[in-house]
Amino acid sequence: MVDPLMDLSLAPETATHSLAREEALRVERLSISFGGLRAVDDLSFAVRKKEIFGLIGPNGAGKTTVFNCITQFYRPDEGNVFFRAGKGRAERVVNLVGQPVHSIIGLGLVRTFQNVEIIQELSLLENVLIGAHIDFKATAFEQAFKLPRALREERSFRKKAEEALAFLGIAGRRDLPAGGQPYGVLKKVELARTLMANPRLIILDEPAAGLNDSETQELSSTIYQIRDVYDCTILLVEHDMHLVMGVCDRICAISFGKFLACDAPEEIKRNKLVQEAYLGEEEV
Amino acid sequence: MNEMNESPLASLKPSPWSSPYLRFVLFGLLAASLPLLSGSGLMKSSTLNYIGNVLVYAVAALGLNLLLGYAGLISLGTAGFMGLGSYIAAYAVKDMGLSFWAALTAAVLIPTLIGLLIGLISLRIEGIYLAIATLCVSEILLKSFEQADSITGGMQGKSVSYPVIFGHTFNRSSTYILLVVALTLVMILTHNFVSGQKGRALHAMRGSEVAAQAMGVNLLQYRLIAFSLATAYAALSGALYVFFIKFSYPSVWNLNLSLYVLAAVVIGGLRSIYGTIIGTFVVWAVPDLVLKKLPVVGGINGLPYIFNGILIILVVMFAPQGISGLWQAKFPLKRKKKEKEEAISGKKEDE
Amino acid sequence: MNNELGTVLQLFMRSLETGSVYSLAALGVIIVYRTSNIVHFAQGSLGMFNTFVVTYVFLSFRLPLWASTLCGVAAAVGTGFLVDFLIIRHTKKVSPLAKQIISLGLIRVLLGLAPLLFGVDPLSLPRFLRSGDFNLGGASISHNAVLNISLGLVLMGVLFYVLQRTKMGLAVRTTASNEPVARLMGVPTRRVTLAAWALAGVLGCLSGVMIAPTTTVTTSLMDAVQVNALFGCVLGGFQTFYGPVLGAYIIGVGRNFLVYYVSSIWGEQIMYLLILIFLIFRPNGLIGKKFVKKV
Repeated sequence: MVDPLMDLSLAPETATHSLAREEALRVERLSISFGGLRAVDDLSFAVRKKEIFGLIGPNGAGKTTVFNCITQFYRPDEGNVFFRAGKGRAERVVNLVGQPVHSIIGLGLVRTFQNVEIIQELSLLENVLIGAHIDFKATAFEQAFKLPRALREERSFRKKAEEALAFLGIAGRRDLPAGGQPYGVLKKVELARTLMANPRLIILDEPAAGLNDSETQELSSTIYQIRDVYDCTILLVEHDMHLVMGVCDRICAISFGKFLACDAPEEIKRNKLVQEAYLGEEEV
Repeated sequence: MNEMNESPLASLKPSPWSSPYLRFVLFGLLAASLPLLSGSGLMKSSTLNYIGNVLVYAVAALGLNLLLGYAGLISLGTAGFMGLGSYIAAYAVKDMGLSFWAALTAAVLIPTLIGLLIGLISLRIEGIYLAIATLCVSEILLKSFEQADSITGGMQGKSVSYPVIFGHTFNRSSTYILLVVALTLVMILTHNFVSGQKGRALHAMRGSEVAAQAMGVNLLQYRLIAFSLATAYAALSGALYVFFIKFSYPSVWNLNLSLYVLAAVVIGGLRSIYGTIIGTFVVWAVPDLVLKKLPVVGGINGLPYIFNGILIILVVMFAPQGISGLWQAKFPLKRKKKEKEEAISGKKEDE
Repeated sequence: MNNELGTVLQLFMRSLETGSVYSLAALGVIIVYRTSNIVHFAQGSLGMFNTFVVTYVFLSFRLPLWASTLCGVAAAVGTGFLVDFLIIRHTKKVSPLAKQIISLGLIRVLLGLAPLLFGVDPLSLPRFLRSGDFNLGGASISHNAVLNISLGLVLMGVLFYVLQRTKMGLAVRTTASNEPVARLMGVPTRRVTLAAWALAGVLGCLSGVMIAPTTTVTTSLMDAVQVNALFGCVLGGFQTFYGPVLGAYIIGVGRNFLVYYVSSIWGEQIMYLLILIFLIFRPNGLIGKKFVKKV
């Protein structure tokens, strides 16, 4: 069998089927259409290791769609997403396209959601524990009979979850049900949940949406801390320009699913194409 | 539990009553002591039958609560799988001469395999369509019970005697104890299962499918787990039924039974183990044990069922979280206080 | 050859008769579902109860069958009103799942009420037209069957005309597509829901009167009708009013042909299995579109 990806004559576009040494994620010529509308159109960008990378664009630019294509909630029509999975010796480059959605987290790629997706009936701690789902090895039988391995796992992951909650400063609420907690707290719970998965790359979908000014302030320092303490790369979509410009190392701007520019925040601010895209939005 | 940390005494010696296991065992002991009452003439002997019925149906209801309450998937197929469990158990013991344990295993495993198939279907079909698709499976089973004379006895039904376990022939009271033991075990295992990783995954699947998937929960796998568990519980319930009632008729396993199991779950409260037991009691025992005892109205044929129906409607209208929800809303503080007092004075009292 | 055709024709007419019963019941289920968001599991039980009324009036007061049926229809309107007035309109805040349980409570009330009012002995109800057969290409079809089939078709014709062409029908369709918005737009949704429950009751009663002569009037009279009406709804899809009717006729026809030509023992099960397989390929029924969830 010939690997079609290795055979350059068969697939000339995928000639760069590997990541440069400093890259953590590369989106390559990504396209997806919904009923004739091209939501993402031939988009390419690369995120470097330990970078805080922003994806911006006017409303309806297709930012969340890009995230959904990376995490395989949507199957892109064309293009590839190469990702540096695993740590240490297990490190390898994987093409995410075509992988089952639930296997993405196992590669070290975790995401949050635009509208927090939290289980109302569970406590904050239990919600965070869901982030460790794939690390549990005990079988259903062992869990139902509370055999030693199940007990041991539950104990150690509970400790880890408590640490994650403490890291984000909400340890005191760990046993309260998520339903009825303030939005800001739930956003932190979602963050804590991603931390449980030993992530290599965290995707934050509008982390500041619904937060007040002081919470947004706190968020930017939290993002730095997460990157440094948990040693991971961060890719975020955000509407709050202040936050994006402040926290991101580099930014990719898109409009109507098309690439506009990818550069340092100051350059992006000065970029004519980006300015036009945003101005156009204000006029409408 | 945690609230007792405030009391210095309690932090030294946590109240043993906070252990769910002790409460499950107490529940079991309490239920198991009922035949003594009936033996000493304090309780009518027929009452034991009604309570036994509640225990049997509670097993199926717990299974449906796992499916509906935790996984958020609906099924109207409970009756069909209960029936299947009962006929397989009866056939295995009576016609094949298998032992009780072999019969029980077969009666649970075979329906569970069919339950797995429904789990597969559930990936494609959702909501009300899924509910009626499971009803479809149940009706196929029901029609087959009526037609497959050689196995099920057709319309005449199938009879079986009390079980023989390890050479010991059971009678009504000891079979009743068997039901208690089975239900208590099921309660404990369910409690453990839902509070662990697999249970949380079911929660996640119900609460947010996208979050569940993003956290690595394989939807297919967990739908299969949820449906096979609910089916296994229903089949176990059916097998216990046939060993306790000693008969299985096709007319028992119809849509109404599935609907009543569903009613028991919703009335008792989703995601509540004791609530499920209470709901089952309300649906199956209250008409005969409580309402029939009422002066005047209890004597009129049919009236207890009317009251029960009205009760079901009232609970739904005024306590949409079920009886357990009502309980939690009314008594959260009282219970904490009581536990604290108990811990300090050392006085122990059953809730 | 001619004989074969006659058999097919006879089977087909009989299926249409069964289909009429199922589809009237299914129409009741779908009207309640679309206006109150409740899967009407008590459609059969309500029909059973009102058929008891018809039978009781017929046997005790010796009224003609058509007059007894009118009494039953009136009782059906009354019970429908009562259910909506006493229960349904007070459940706006009840969760969708808990709402479904209401019809279970109703079933139990009706199952208790019927023997209480009408006794526990099975009663029997005659056909509208006791004798007379048409001969149609070798098939003999009773006058009563033709009456039932035409009654079903005419009723549904009228209902669909009302739904599609009148202001009242528009109110029902608006309520069905979005109740809160309809209310804001000034549609009298309360009256629509009330009418829906009454109409479902009437349809249930008529399907009960149609099926009663083939068996005896007991509390389990409508069990099969209820189940097949629900199957008709999933087969046709819950999104339209005519889908379930179509589904119910298909089940009526499919069932009879499978029982006759394939297996008298397994025919019905095969029919249900086919529905199941069909659903796997079209999870929203014959007529129904798939909603795409957004992440």
